Amino acid sequence: MGVRLVVQGLFKNIIKTRKMGLKFKAGATIFFVIMIFGLLSFLTPHYHSYWYHFPQAHPPSLQSVDFIFGTTSNGRSVFWSLTNAIVNSLIIAVVTSMLACHIGLIIGILSGIKGGVIDKIMMFLTDSFIAIPGLPLTIMLAMILKPIINLFLLGVIISIISWPWSARMIRAITLSLREKDFVIFAKFSGMSTWKIIFSEIFPHILGFHATNIINTMLGAIGAEVGLAFLGLSIIEMDTLGTMIYWIQRYGAILQNMWWWVVPPIATLILLFLSLYLVSTGIQEFLNPRLRRVK
Amino acid sequence: MLPKHLIKYFLFRILILLATIFTAFTITFVILKIMPIDIVNNIIARSMAVTGAALGDPEAVRRMYEIYYEIFGLKGTFIEQYVSFLNRFLTMDFGISILARPATVQEVISYRLPWTVALLVFSTILSWVIGNIIGAVVSLFEGSKLSNILQSLAIILYPIPYYVFALVLIYIFGYIIPLFSLTPIRLPSNIFSLEFIITVFRAMTLPALSIIVIGALGWWFLSSRAMALNIISEDFYLYGEIRGLPKLHLLKKYLLKNILLPQITALSINLGTIFGGALLTEILFNYPGLGTLLYQAVNAGDYPLVLGIVSMSIIGVAVATCIMDLLYPLIDPRIRYR
Repeated sequence: MGVRLVVQGLFKNIIKTRKMGLKFKAGATIFFVIMIFGLLSFLTPHYHSYWYHFPQAHPPSLQSVDFIFGTTSNGRSVFWSLTNAIVNSLIIAVVTSMLACHIGLIIGILSGIKGGVIDKIMMFLTDSFIAIPGLPLTIMLAMILKPIINLFLLGVIISIISWPWSARMIRAITLSLREKDFVIFAKFSGMSTWKIIFSEIFPHILGFHATNIINTMLGAIGAEVGLAFLGLSIIEMDTLGTMIYWIQRYGAILQNMWWWVVPPIATLILLFLSLYLVSTGIQEFLNPRLRRVK
Repeated sequence: MLPKHLIKYFLFRILILLATIFTAFTITFVILKIMPIDIVNNIIARSMAVTGAALGDPEAVRRMYEIYYEIFGLKGTFIEQYVSFLNRFLTMDFGISILARPATVQEVISYRLPWTVALLVFSTILSWVIGNIIGAVVSLFEGSKLSNILQSLAIILYPIPYYVFALVLIYIFGYIIPLFSLTPIRLPSNIFSLEFIITVFRAMTLPALSIIVIGALGWWFLSSRAMALNIISEDFYLYGEIRGLPKLHLLKKYLLKNILLPQITALSINLGTIFGGALLTEILFNYPGLGTLLYQAVNAGDYPLVLGIVSMSIIGVAVATCIMDLLYPLIDPRIRYR
């Protein structure tokens, strides 16, 4: 029954998107365009993976799709790299957000509901994770796991530093919900803890959870780019991070190869912007007080 | 003499600092333990491939294995492993750096550390101050054109990581307007000469600028503006306004004072993120700090040095956060007099 309520709530929210503000619409539109661009990667020709297949450092020209954005210093098509990079970066982001946010959700709800010793232990653990500066830890892990790295594992590595924030926030929300009349009423009427979590508490957390997932995706994309700067991403695959890695490696900026530099960086900035707008849009929708009255 | 409750507060905070560092290293230990691959074999195979070290001397190889086993806490019983691991991390004793033989890891790090600390302190404080002041001032002129422009700018800048903006700056200042050189800098030997100051200034300006613009006009601006708007809607502010207090007075005593405290907390929470961002920014600008060192260490497969920097940054960020919390009573009278 609890699950049914959750699903119902989700549908209701999806239908309500028409009422979302301008921020959400703008963000969703940009994101949608980027996604369509990424979906083109399914048409990637087989020769894309070879180096020096195309002439090196060829500026953009309209002679064929491969040359729309020109080619790189190692003779690859920037266009196909970019489309693949978008998909791969988003895969990493989705893996991270699914893992980190749900670990955070479970730990947050449990420690909020149970309280007492369990709460204390879990929150001490969470706080210690928050205290560790994330980047050096991820760098260490990525360096050690380099021989067996893949998209999924990269997501796992980034999750290790991302979950504590969601756990803390979810716990705070759960704590405030626990004292509400309807939860106390449910408890006294003999509902089991699990049932209370699913049917009374979870629906109220859903909205925050959605924005949290998007924010974690944002963080994950950024973290992957950060790792890639150090050459610790999956270099043999196209991601937004590795594209920037090769740009730096070949000094493309100083050679003024703008056709190679601009696409990944512009995509990255637009992606960040669109996800941020979507998440603030959802927040404003859920909490009308954030909406500015004109 | 400090009042009793303040001493209690300080002691408690320092206790938390120790507990944090201890737990952080324990977590690192556990994570390294559950790694699904044979770390030491991989490292030695790789470092031999990188340095082209001869396999001729089995004694040297055996010693290398031993050192790595100890560093990663794989030697002896479980308790022994844990203790030696903690010991190495707390003292940052990771032996000799592969990258900068024969210097030890400690020496290499302590040589680069002042650069990073200078950049971080300078850019963090500046962006924090600028962002908060602009945010508060703009909230006084809510609805004007300038405030709208600044807010849209902030919404675009805020989600961008420091290093992506750094790339944009490099493109502008390195190629279009070549004001700053992006070549690695060489320091003059005399620390007190004018040349030294100019070199440091030239090295620091661009990386600091990239952090300050994003930090100040992004997050600090947005949050301080939101808080200031909240305060403006409060009764005490309205009363002050009706009494006809000058705007400057309202700004200083009513807005900034109330914004300051939560913003300091936010600063101490965000320190880890800022630190990571600064490391990556350094790499892009060839700034001779810890970030560039980390980059070189990763590329050379220099695990002792990487672990050294990791432990350094855990201790560094924890201590910085602690110092910030210790400064709290100076700003918040509620803690000072109780």
